[in-house]
Amino acid sequence: ADYTIRATANSNENDEDYDGLVVFKNYVEAASNGAIEVELFIGTQLCSNGAECLQGVAGGVIDVYISTSGGASGIFPYVQVLDLPYLMADDRVAEKVLSGDFTRKVRDMALEDSDGLIRLMTIGNTGGWRNFANTKRRVAEPADMEGLKIRTVVADLPQELVKALGASPTPIPWPELFTSFQTGVVEGSKNGITDIMGMKFPDAGLQYVTLDGHAYMGALWWMSNEKFLAMPEEMRRVVVDGFYALQQATFASPKRKSIKAYEDFVAGGGDLYVPTPDQKAAFKEAASPVYDWFKGNVARGDEVFTALTDAVAEAEAEINADRDADLN
Amino acid sequence: MGIVLAIISPLGWINEKVLGIGRAIGVIAVAAMVAAILIQVVFRYVFNNALPWPDEAARFCMLWMTGLMAPTAFRRGGFVAIDMLCNLLPRTLGTLLNLFLLTICLAVLLTAVKIGWSEVTGFGGRFATASLFVPVSLDLSEWLRVPRSWMMASMLVCIVLLISVNIELILRTLVALFGGRDRLKPILTSNTSGAE
Amino acid sequence: MLVWFLPLFLVFLAVGLPVFFGLLAAPGLLLWLNGQERDITLLYRNVYNGMDSFPLMAIPFFMLAGELMNRGGITMRLVEFSQALMGHLRGGLAHVNVLSSMLFAGLSGSAVADTSALGSMLIPAMEKQGYTRRFAAAITAASSVIGPIIPPSGIMIIYAYVMGESVAALFLAGIVPGIMVGAGLMVMVKVLADKYDFPVATRKHTWSERGQASLKAFFPLLTPVIILGGILGGVFTPTEAAAVAVAYALVIGLFVLRTLRLSDLPDVLSRAGMTSAVVLLLVGAAMAFKTVVSLSHAPEQLASFILSLSENPLILLFLINLLLFVVGMFLDAGPAIIILGPILGPIFVSLGIDPIHFAIIMSVNLTIGLATPPMGLVLFVAASVSGERVETISKAILPFLAVEVVVIFLITYIPAISMTIPRLTGFAN
Ligand code: NA
Ligand code: NA
Repeated sequence: ADYTIRATANSNENDEDYDGLVVFKNYVEAASNGAIEVELFIGTQLCSNGAECLQGVAGGVIDVYISTSGGASGIFPYVQVLDLPYLMADDRVAEKVLSGDFTRKVRDMALEDSDGLIRLMTIGNTGGWRNFANTKRRVAEPADMEGLKIRTVVADLPQELVKALGASPTPIPWPELFTSFQTGVVEGSKNGITDIMGMKFPDAGLQYVTLDGHAYMGALWWMSNEKFLAMPEEMRRVVVDGFYALQQATFASPKRKSIKAYEDFVAGGGDLYVPTPDQKAAFKEAASPVYDWFKGNVARGDEVFTALTDAVAEAEAEINADRDADLN
Repeated sequence: MGIVLAIISPLGWINEKVLGIGRAIGVIAVAAMVAAILIQVVFRYVFNNALPWPDEAARFCMLWMTGLMAPTAFRRGGFVAIDMLCNLLPRTLGTLLNLFLLTICLAVLLTAVKIGWSEVTGFGGRFATASLFVPVSLDLSEWLRVPRSWMMASMLVCIVLLISVNIELILRTLVALFGGRDRLKPILTSNTSGAE
Repeated sequence: MLVWFLPLFLVFLAVGLPVFFGLLAAPGLLLWLNGQERDITLLYRNVYNGMDSFPLMAIPFFMLAGELMNRGGITMRLVEFSQALMGHLRGGLAHVNVLSSMLFAGLSGSAVADTSALGSMLIPAMEKQGYTRRFAAAITAASSVIGPIIPPSGIMIIYAYVMGESVAALFLAGIVPGIMVGAGLMVMVKVLADKYDFPVATRKHTWSERGQASLKAFFPLLTPVIILGGILGGVFTPTEAAAVAVAYALVIGLFVLRTLRLSDLPDVLSRAGMTSAVVLLLVGAAMAFKTVVSLSHAPEQLASFILSLSENPLILLFLINLLLFVVGMFLDAGPAIIILGPILGPIFVSLGIDPIHFAIIMSVNLTIGLATPPMGLVLFVAASVSGERVETISKAILPFLAVEVVVIFLITYIPAISMTIPRLTGFAN
């Protein structure tokens, strides 16, 4: 091969990220007729979190890396805009937004802030939507969150959100989360259903899930800009198309995987609650201080917030028009 | 040999002093680590209100503890090694082997210090910590989010100190090789140690 | 080509390069020869990244708690308590040595701390009673490996960190295996005591004397109860439990027993900090080494090689125990776990072995490796504490190592030994 792309994801082979990488590898190697080889390192073999891995991308020791918005927030704080609650209504809206100019806007911002080192290739999905889950009670409206100790990562945005809803954010390392539910160190978390089932959290007492879908679990796919630009244009085209295929795969994979996860959760006695539109509006209302916090406290927060809300409005209009056209 | 001895004594003195300061800061860092985590336990369990910073602050202290205290351990022979061969060989050969091993260590450290400098000053150091802030104005109205480079610097400092110790050890070995072993001021030693 | 860094590493170790530098020099040199200069940066970076971890913080904390207890005269109280219970048996002090190690294990996560704390007290005492010095040093070294098997445990903290397992589950799983090692050593002591007519240490204590001794040891013996109780009861995570153990040791040393003075603290903090610093650097270097292992694709090759030997997990477990035992002879338990855990763990989990069970097999095996020559840390410490040569202790320790090998195989083939407590408490499936 003329080019070797070293790609890494911190998850495991059951994850959507891996599905995406397999599609990417297969597409790129075939479409380049073997000129590009993709080497996969799954897990924490090369680096174990966003800061470490993105540093690797910037330094050219890692070519492709997928981070969550939390993982990249240490250097590109504005990507946390994806964690802002209730901005995008559903998959259809999110997929339209992330396939469009919003992603290009974030790419430009990240290139500027990394001195042209780190390039955002695409934004896919990793695990569906974040929902609130807990060990104590059904959460139907914001008041039910009062006093619950909710596990968050060590980052300020999710902590602000949990506080806005009247609950108490508690940082716990991921490997200790199971036992922490069991012993009551924490009483809830905000995760996608596949992670909840993959970690067997219901066995530790996590029996109440509220499908509030407060945040889209965006997967940001980064690439070393130097590596990318060093390729001739026809190879870059192959890589870009590879990331398109990857994005489509990660859009689809969680939908398929979550079906069984939800079934298993309910079969195990779990309480799955879908809030009414009124209740969902109440959640959005309760969480709204976070928007102002984000715009005021996060570097370039205002700029990215406007970009996202504009893109959402545009996507919703297009989708509504499309849907109307399809109805008859 | 006279020249070498003349370099060793000030170098040894400097190492002794600087590492002593390092240990003192290390002691404070250990105490601060314990305090930060205990504060977290109290706030979470008693007040049901976990704080965002203790986690990261304690890691900050742990890294600096490591960076500032490990060089003393190196100087006192506390880095784990299999010294059987060295002991089996005749004395001169053993000393030569020791010199060779110290040279490898120096090569590792010199490579590391070059990388370390570019790491601390480079892109990776610009990542912000999630929850650590320091005041940058006297009236506490402006706060700076601590960049990751402040934590990464612990390792660079560690390597610089290790190099200084390593040079001292090489010079001492040279003196020993030329028969001046008894003219060296002994380094205080401690037991070997491990997590195990 | 890159794979040659593995043998080079062994050569570096054998000629006496400190493990920390060996872990970096061997892969670094091969990366350089291979034209992969950029990956040397990755090597450097992962030393730092490997140390920058919240769960690892439990290591300095438990180290500190152990130092505080030792300085506060708690070790002595544990020994007196053991003596009141077992001193009257034939081979009394040898039994006391083992029992004290088991009790000390509940406070400390380190075999090295155990050897130096108990060895400096018990080896001279045993010599005075007519035991040979090499025997006293050997039983001290052999029993101190219980330290990281009974919780808390530095080795299990490292395993949990590298493999993403729960520290609490590993701690619970170590309790019975640790007691078994202790019981096995006592059986061997009894056999030897009857054969060689070992001395009796004291007359039999009355129950009221035993009561008094246990009263004096009450607060120290409460430590493991607080640590495990706090974790099980949801008061704190294992890292926090370690900090609480420090606070507890401080309070009983300063205020309850009043055996510790404020002026002792700087020295205690300094010793604990320095010991932890060495361990953390080693963990970082091993994490960096592991990265190059991944880059060389050695794990895939090793995995397919292991699976080609046999598909029967029972036979593979036997072979892996042999491999680990040999590795334990040459490498510290911490680095061995960091490098081999991610390679071996997934293979056995895919063969149906519970991850917690495998963690215990690996941890116990490599822990016992601390007492085997030539790279047995605990042997070095026992040698320096006793003034006996490592080679001599190595011979005297053989009967005890034989017992420990038997225990390894029992743990391997009877999962219930390690899994019952975590299962009953719901920490394992
Ligand atoms: Na222990
Ligand atoms: Na012992």
